[in-house]
Amino acid sequence: MQEGKRVKKYRMSRQRTILAYLFLSPVLLFFLVFFLIPIVFSLYISFARWDMLTPLSQAPLVGLKNYQYILFKDDLFLLTLKNTLVFALGTVVLNVVLSLFLAFLFTRSRFKALWRTIYWLPMVTTVSAVATMWQYIFKARGLINALLADVNISGPIWLADPRTAMPAVILVSVWAGLGGAMLIFSAGLEGIPDSYYEAARVDGANVRQEFWHITIPLLRPTILFNLVTGFIGGLSSFTLIMVMTQGGPLNTTNVVANYMYQVAFSDMRMGRASAMAFALFGVILLVTLIQLRVFRRGGIESY
Amino acid sequence: MSSAITGRAERAIKTGRAGRAGRGVSPWGIAGGVLKYGILIFGAFTIILPFIDMFLGAVKTIPEMRAEPPVWISRDPQWGVFLEVMHLLPMARLYTNSFLVSISVTFLVLFTSALAGFVLAKYRFPGRDLIFGFILATMMFPVFLFLIPNYYILRHIPFVGGNDITGWGGTGLMHSRLSLILPFMVSAWGIFMLRQFAVGLPDELLDSARIDGASEFRIFWQMILPQLKPALATLAVFQFMGIWNEYLWAMTITTSAPEMMTVPVGIWLLRDSLDPMRNLALIRAATAVAVVPIMILFVSLQKYYVKGIVMTGIKG
Repeated sequence: MQEGKRVKKYRMSRQRTILAYLFLSPVLLFFLVFFLIPIVFSLYISFARWDMLTPLSQAPLVGLKNYQYILFKDDLFLLTLKNTLVFALGTVVLNVVLSLFLAFLFTRSRFKALWRTIYWLPMVTTVSAVATMWQYIFKARGLINALLADVNISGPIWLADPRTAMPAVILVSVWAGLGGAMLIFSAGLEGIPDSYYEAARVDGANVRQEFWHITIPLLRPTILFNLVTGFIGGLSSFTLIMVMTQGGPLNTTNVVANYMYQVAFSDMRMGRASAMAFALFGVILLVTLIQLRVFRRGGIESY
Repeated sequence: MSSAITGRAERAIKTGRAGRAGRGVSPWGIAGGVLKYGILIFGAFTIILPFIDMFLGAVKTIPEMRAEPPVWISRDPQWGVFLEVMHLLPMARLYTNSFLVSISVTFLVLFTSALAGFVLAKYRFPGRDLIFGFILATMMFPVFLFLIPNYYILRHIPFVGGNDITGWGGTGLMHSRLSLILPFMVSAWGIFMLRQFAVGLPDELLDSARIDGASEFRIFWQMILPQLKPALATLAVFQFMGIWNEYLWAMTITTSAPEMMTVPVGIWLLRDSLDPMRNLALIRAATAVAVVPIMILFVSLQKYYVKGIVMTGIKG
């Protein structure tokens, strides 16, 4: 009797396991074909010299030469790496600070649906459209310079001036990402029980104290989420810069993703491009781990 | 919404502070309130201004574009520019392509995410945590790490597009919309989100259905899916938007197959085509034509997916 039950239970759990893998099979197959194979493939060609036109089997292996080249000889790669970090850091920091601040205000306001709709608009706008819109705004006689002219400042040609191109691109990136980050922050803010704030108010806390002593500590997981996903997106960002500046002027806005695309599909140097992709992955991984580490030290165990 | 209101009412009754329990009333004061709305309005204005600039710029006449000081609101708006765009860009085809790809991807992602999310949340089996961890880890890899291999893989799939058994001789899926759909049919983010949501569903639901002898797939299809609706709505919108705006892969694929070109790639290509001054207006008009319908769609659906976000609690 007891034995029979156990056998039955064992059979059921085995059945369930088979079923689980059956249900997961489309997903697993997908990750095999479009994730694992490409990773191995990329890793292989990062050690080879290959132009994509010849069969892969005829591509000569060159060992670590591609990595050596991009890390020690290719000044442009190092410059684009630096640009990528500047772009991501600028975008993420501004985005998180602004969106948190705005979300804090907006969850305590009337007309929530209205604010949400407006701030969300850039999120539903195709990135290449965003880039196009802003390109005109930054032109010599565009909106920004016209506004500056009203207060007697003669603005630069933003996207053609090596000093202003990067800040301009960062600004657009922040503008475009604000709504999404705000939405996630507002979901986090709604999750903080009202009673915490009420208790603070009974103790005579003002809004600023509420923000620093209740909102920020309780919102740490959400902040971490926005930081991590923001950095991953920012470090591999491509479209906005490709459309707005194509990496110019003088490569001041050229980022790794952009340069890699050029090396791969214009110069047909697949090996070198793959090595760049892995180098960038290394940077993303490092940045993510640092963030997780810092937040964990701060007492967040849920990650 | 209603529960929030009753909750607040209850608390107000308990604390005996009925009438002024609304959040955001007490600690701000009048100056704070003015500042708060001032900041929100200023921000909203900054968000809207580029869109307005785009519309105003699209309908200006050529002399108005050159005028000094700049003219903002055209005296003689050139509404015809929108029609001209329709002639210059195959807008109908771009929209059809974008819709076909985005809708297919969205449905595939919803299905695969729900199924995988359900299994990862509700089944206990060896390897589960490993698979879940692996799926989360895939999110960290930059997309363009897959650009070259995926291009190669899709080009050299055996037996399609003139390829022989070794995958050579033809162009593979390069001229099929599948090449725009397949690489996006599973979303790690989607699986993660639906798994988090499915964990919260009561186990009794499944057990009672199992006692009734329902098959596991039927349980998923008839009991779990309806429960996942709010999360699915949210995921659908994010996914649709993501793929609609996807540019890198679409550009890589459609440069050699312009008949499959999507909206974002189309707008970008327009810029090189005409005389610069006229182009200024045309590109802005094209941008407007590309952006507005989808914007209306999302704004009108907002109610559904915002609820899903709050309910799923993407709090990290």
